[in-house]
Amino acid sequence: MTATTSTVEDITVVTAEGSIDSKTAGEFERTALTAIQGQREVIIDLTQVDFLSSAGLRVLLVVYRQLKAKNGQVVLVGTSEDIKDVMSDTGFLSFFSTVDTLAQGLALLQAK
Amino acid sequence: MERITFAGTLDALDGIRRVVKAQAEEAGLARKPTYNLLLAVDEIATNIITHGYEENNLSGPVDLLTDCSNECFTVVLEDEAPAFDPLHHQLPTDELFARPLEERPIGGMGIHLTIKGVDKFSYEYLGGRNRNIFCMNVPELPPAP
Repeated sequence: MTATTSTVEDITVVTAEGSIDSKTAGEFERTALTAIQGQREVIIDLTQVDFLSSAGLRVLLVVYRQLKAKNGQVVLVGTSEDIKDVMSDTGFLSFFSTVDTLAQGLALLQAK
Repeated sequence: MERITFAGTLDALDGIRRVVKAQAEEAGLARKPTYNLLLAVDEIATNIITHGYEENNLSGPVDLLTDCSNECFTVVLEDEAPAFDPLHHQLPTDELFARPLEERPIGGMGIHLTIKGVDKFSYEYLGGRNRNIFCMNVPELPPAP
């Protein structure tokens, strides 16, 4: 798993690749929490993530809480159907905006 | 049953998932049940390693056994950590999953995903070993022409 941060059109984007499990969730969390410092919104690009365990869900929960406290928003890009189903099953899905592409995610946040 | 022994550390998770995935595909499981099985096995293996071994300052093996017979693809995780029945723990309720994320306790999701994701999950303690058993129904093959 790798997690990287970039800024696209003034919006912070965290891009993860690979499998997010109990071994790798810590790195995903560190990258995401560093990236959202001083931010109200973030895009998390999961297009290249093929597996997300409950350890990964916990990271999304922590990121969500930090931004929600600032009245902000988390947009998930490219979440696989399998991962979406798990998020739906655990009541997570409705708290996140999900879009298919990074362009859609940027448009969503810029429209605000 | 085919048995592969992994060292009980978080480094093993990736290898365990790879083996289960390959065997599940060979057994004819579709993509969706294969993913759910991978998730269930990963969650239980994580519990064994972190709660069973690491928190008790122990180390030991996680054995992965797979078998396909009687229309069922079976995965067994065996370990030598103290006896622990995941089914005897309080399971999250629907009420918990309906709560806003701001109020959620962190944790308890793994066992829920395990039980929900597989066709049958069982636990036994046998010969000094925890045995977590996951069964997935295998689709019937079309009749031979």
